[in-house]
Amino acid sequence: MTTILELRVQAQLESPGRSFLLDASFNSTTQRTALVGASGSGKSTVLMAIAGLLPQARGYVRVAGKVLLDTAHSVDLPARERGVGLVFQDYALFPHMTVEQNLAFGICRLGKRPNEAERGRIDALIRQFDLEALRGAWPRHLSGGQRQRVALARALAPQPHFLLLDEPLSALDAQLRVRLRHELAEMLERVQVPALLVTHDLSDVEALAQSVIHLDKGRVVDSAITESATPT
Amino acid sequence: MTTSSSRWLGKFTLLAALSISSATLHAQEVVVSAAASLTNAFQAVGQAFEKSRPGTKVTFNFAASGPLLAQIQQGAPVDVFASADQETMDRAAKANLLAEGTRADFARNTLVLIVPSTATAVPQKLSDLGNAQYKRVSTGTPSSVPVGRYTMASVQEAGLTATLEPKWIYGESVRQVLNYVARGEVDAGFVYRTDALIEKDKTRIALTVPTTTPVSYPIAQIASSKNAALGKDFIAFVRSDAGQQILDSFGFSKP
Amino acid sequence: MLTPLWLTLKIALLATLMAGVVGIALGWWMSQRRFAGKNLIDALLMLPMVLPPTVLGYYLIVVIGRNGVLGQYLDRWFGINLMFTWQGAVIAASLVSLPLIYKAARAAFEDVDGRFLHAARTLGAGEFETFVRVTLPLAVRGITAGLMLAFARAMGEFGATLMIAGNLPGKTQTLSIAIYDAVQAGNDAQALWLTLVISVVCVVVLVVSGRMLQAKH
Repeated sequence: MTTILELRVQAQLESPGRSFLLDASFNSTTQRTALVGASGSGKSTVLMAIAGLLPQARGYVRVAGKVLLDTAHSVDLPARERGVGLVFQDYALFPHMTVEQNLAFGICRLGKRPNEAERGRIDALIRQFDLEALRGAWPRHLSGGQRQRVALARALAPQPHFLLLDEPLSALDAQLRVRLRHELAEMLERVQVPALLVTHDLSDVEALAQSVIHLDKGRVVDSAITESATPT
Repeated sequence: MTTSSSRWLGKFTLLAALSISSATLHAQEVVVSAAASLTNAFQAVGQAFEKSRPGTKVTFNFAASGPLLAQIQQGAPVDVFASADQETMDRAAKANLLAEGTRADFARNTLVLIVPSTATAVPQKLSDLGNAQYKRVSTGTPSSVPVGRYTMASVQEAGLTATLEPKWIYGESVRQVLNYVARGEVDAGFVYRTDALIEKDKTRIALTVPTTTPVSYPIAQIASSKNAALGKDFIAFVRSDAGQQILDSFGFSKP
Repeated sequence: MLTPLWLTLKIALLATLMAGVVGIALGWWMSQRRFAGKNLIDALLMLPMVLPPTVLGYYLIVVIGRNGVLGQYLDRWFGINLMFTWQGAVIAASLVSLPLIYKAARAAFEDVDGRFLHAARTLGAGEFETFVRVTLPLAVRGITAGLMLAFARAMGEFGATLMIAGNLPGKTQTLSIAIYDAVQAGNDAQALWLTLVISVVCVVVLVVSGRMLQAKH
């Protein structure tokens, strides 16, 4: 089994009155991995380190075959070059852009209008995530479930090699969560991009992941392959 | 009433009585609005006046004659007004601001053209100001400052109105004009001889400028004055030998 | 009759532009970094708003007066003298407007949720692109409101302007100075007319900027 995610990261975070040391090491061989732990255990920090949004991170990160961070060899790719998509806990959809513009952000760079091929990709995403009716909608008018679809589509727009999801269902109410858990599982299966999913809800782990890493106070305390594991 | 509170009342009454009586003591105060060019001379006159009449206090308000008139028109509590030209006092009289029969001339002055002491170019005659090396020439704002009016009349008399028109830098008072020249911000300025004498180090007199009317200073009591007696005394002092001697020492001439 | 108005508008517009460029840049810079002495720099930038206008005017004279720290070189090398010019008035007005724009810009930038910037970066945007496509559009309302207040302030600038630019009708006599002048000369009708003109303009500016501050997103 090939290693999909290899991570050995240390980071010292200082904020007024609080000091947090992240010292996490783990490998994962499954397509979808869950990262669980109590709040404050450092789960989101690990995601930031993988995404390239944590300047204090030191160590080694290799994801889907690509080395993103290797302090020993002075490698530290900036976020925009890492090819890692990130779905935020509350989706962080750009409020001043429509759904379509949010999706297009990762596809067209500044000042450029989308060409033929890029238009095609945007349309494909819209179809794939069932967003046709919401093309011109503003994020503030969308429901929780709709926002989740847009956030996922946006993260996938630049065709990343790896996907990070930060508590993707916690912003939803209980009923919606059950329904969208299924939808998310289906989407992830369809899209075939390896993913690391942060959650504190064990039902998420069961439905969405094939292995799980436990984090506590910035350190990995346990890891396991769950029953629904699919060898790659 | 208890003994302690009656003691308090007693103390309070005494304090109140003292402050009222001290207020009446300082009721011997006269407010004089005087043209800016009189600043130094009148301050000396005021000191001499206070000395000759112990218990009196002279409060001065120095500015260009025009703004001073505007203040009086708006009800400023002024007792005596001394302006640098007859025109401003005429305006005051027309507005019925002056007390009958109190107006008198008390001094004369001369209009001079000054340049910064560091200046390389010194005009020999008024028309020299037309030369390119004099880019900025200052005088008072003609609409409100007497020195500006004297200057414009003289300039017109010399046929230089058009030549100097683009070069004017107006000052809010003759002292501001003096300041501009002293700091070298302008190439030349029109002030009174008495002002030039104040800034002997930083300015030099290039020439005396003949004026179309004499530079004559009138003084008068304000009709609404609450200190008429003291105002009258002050005017008398200014016109007396003692007052005239002080004015003379600052460069003013007899009225 | 209306020359002071056009002069005032010209000076205020240019001053707002100059102060705008500097104020927005400084506001951005200060919103991003945390370093020792940050509060001191912040205080210095707010100083022109707090100092009495005559103090500001005096400092300006010391710097750009003909014999001033910078003024003497401007005069000697380029023959430029900023005293008694409308350009000098622009400098005085931009100085008093700067704190208003800086403060508004900094607050607007700080209000932009950092997560949007993170999202932009993971989607392939560099720092400049993130600033232009995400930060600026989200901060533009606050910044614009600051610019409008700065414009109103620049229009009303009097003390420092009078000291630097003087009172030259047609050249540096702005509306505020013209009103002062009219009062000095006892010309009440003129003073009243000019006061009404500037009051109307200021009210318009404030109403429009108030609308811009109403959040939409």
